[in-house]
Amino acid sequence: MKVLLVEDNERVTRFVTKGLQEAGHTADHADNGRDGLFLAASERYDVIIMDRMLPGNIDGLSLISALRQSGNQTPILVLSALADVDERIKGLRAGGDDYLTKPFAFGELLARLDALGRRTRQDGTVTTLEVADLRMDLLSRKVVRGTRQILLQPREFKLLEYLMRHAGQVVTRTMLLENVWDYHFDPQTNVVDVHISKLRQKIEPEPEHSLLRTVRNAGYMLSAE
Amino acid sequence: MPFFIRSSATTLAASYVLLGILALILFALPLSYAWRAAENDTRLQILAEDSERLAAVFQRRGPAGLEAFINERVGLQIAGERILLLTDASMRPLAGNVPGWPAGVPAEPGGYTTPIELDHHPTMVTLVRTDLPGGYKLLVGRDVARLTPVTRRFWLGLAVAIAVLLVAGVVGAILIRRALLSRIHSIRQTVSAIMQGELSHRLPTGSSSDELNTLSRTINRMLEQIEQLVHGVANVSNAIAHDLRTPLTELRSRLEELSLTRPPPSEAFAEIDAAVADVDRVISIFNALLRLAEIDTGMRRSGFMDVDLVDLCARAVEFYVPAAEIRDINLTFKDESGNLHASGDKLLLAQAVNNLIDNALKYTPPGGTVTVSTVRPQTGTAGIVVADSGPGMTAAQRGRATERFFRGDASRGTPGVGLGLSLVDAVARLQGGSLEFADQQPGLRAIINFPATGS
Repeated sequence: MKVLLVEDNERVTRFVTKGLQEAGHTADHADNGRDGLFLAASERYDVIIMDRMLPGNIDGLSLISALRQSGNQTPILVLSALADVDERIKGLRAGGDDYLTKPFAFGELLARLDALGRRTRQDGTVTTLEVADLRMDLLSRKVVRGTRQILLQPREFKLLEYLMRHAGQVVTRTMLLENVWDYHFDPQTNVVDVHISKLRQKIEPEPEHSLLRTVRNAGYMLSAE
Repeated sequence: MPFFIRSSATTLAASYVLLGILALILFALPLSYAWRAAENDTRLQILAEDSERLAAVFQRRGPAGLEAFINERVGLQIAGERILLLTDASMRPLAGNVPGWPAGVPAEPGGYTTPIELDHHPTMVTLVRTDLPGGYKLLVGRDVARLTPVTRRFWLGLAVAIAVLLVAGVVGAILIRRALLSRIHSIRQTVSAIMQGELSHRLPTGSSSDELNTLSRTINRMLEQIEQLVHGVANVSNAIAHDLRTPLTELRSRLEELSLTRPPPSEAFAEIDAAVADVDRVISIFNALLRLAEIDTGMRRSGFMDVDLVDLCARAVEFYVPAAEIRDINLTFKDESGNLHASGDKLLLAQAVNNLIDNALKYTPPGGTVTVSTVRPQTGTAGIVVADSGPGMTAAQRGRATERFFRGDASRGTPGVGLGLSLVDAVARLQGGSLEFADQQPGLRAIINFPATGS
């Protein structure tokens, strides 16, 4: 993925750029709003990471609005120290696609970037999802592993759907909380892990053919291999 | 400040005095007009009756008889008080106390109030002119100026009234100002003391419920709130210092040890991971505190919208059921309200309910029960009850449960930083309600009550 990072803090920039390169992505960097706008408008990126408070006249949110007004639809992840729920809403309303609060774990950032980058490539009108021999029919709401049908509670279905839509990507606990339960706060518990292990018991009775893996220090990944 | 107070008290009194005087004058003007009009009418009537009497004398005794009658009357009367004049057809005076037909008398017979020429002075008179048979003319009148002392007395009385009012006003103003100033002075002294940091001072309040006392009481309540907040902030600062210092100390020593001992990579990585966990703990405390601060400012109220509380609680229970099952706790949801909506912050309410459930699960021993229910304690009130079968809290603990960083004895060794119930309490207050605890025997009943919408 080609990523543009608009961020004025040097240490954060180094940390993110290095992490992205290690994960096999290329990253361009701008340390002020004007350069950021120039790069974003002149090159094609898969995802833009945008800090909200930038030096110069253009702050992150106005930059996003400017890009969106000019028809640029590149997914944007807003990175900010402003953590209030209202600030988050402002960020998303300005045209951001996701909002991550500083300080953040790199795993969280990477997982969200993957999810955003994937979204552009994904066709919106899928009716079935498939990972290895696990199949999900979104219309009849049936889940089959091989030949065996799996019965899921509505919330488990939603959880599995989210994991399957992001198959091959790391999905963090926060992402699951936000997207499956619509909880935009940290419940300070391991309840998500419990839901995952329950789901795991249902979709993989034989643990040797595991599809749903735990990624240390990050979250979970559903993948074929 | 003193200048302002002085001027405001005096201005108030002065304007009242002015208003009083103005009212008095406005009251006196129509009164004086009506009185004068009535007096004029009466006087004309008396003069007209007098003329008729004289005309009757003329009829009975002829011109000579009337002449004698008038001369007799003029002789008896105080000169100048009355105008009496009888002339023949050529305006030659026959009898009376006026030397000649005065200029300015109207040509037609009738009653008038008009200025005429008397002793070469224009004089305001009320007079009745009667034309008698044979061209004789009779004038009966009265000098209005003779009556002015009465009018003057009226205006004098008014002036005295105004003067009395003025004096009373000024004296009143001085007294009011003195009373007001002494009370304001004591308020000012208290406020100065408070400004210097003596937050325990309160404004003096009397037993009466006049405006100043009411104001003082309101200010006292505000001071109480401020004092509580300031103490709260001080307590929180201490608690933050304590609670952040612990993980920060651990973090620091971990990193320092790492730097000093340079252990093999595998060990070093484990230490680094632990250090990251320490930092995460600090961040989570920070976030919880910021969230509390955000709620306490009340700014979130602007984003209130309709929230389905039954659905919200059902979802929260559903979220925690797997975790409860693992600990062999029976977590159930029961709606006793039928349909419960409130205007509120959905996210914060969800977080509050989640915190209550999380708390209940934490303290309930395996095999116990946690019941969440939505109730309607009374019309217009929404209640969310989370009841557990855990050890409960003592009365003293219940009182302190919502304090920031307070953790009961039972919570020792369980995860958490002691901000969960503070958040629930803050959310309840933001919703215009409260968080209460009751003894379940055994167990604890946590209830959030706040205004509901709908029936």
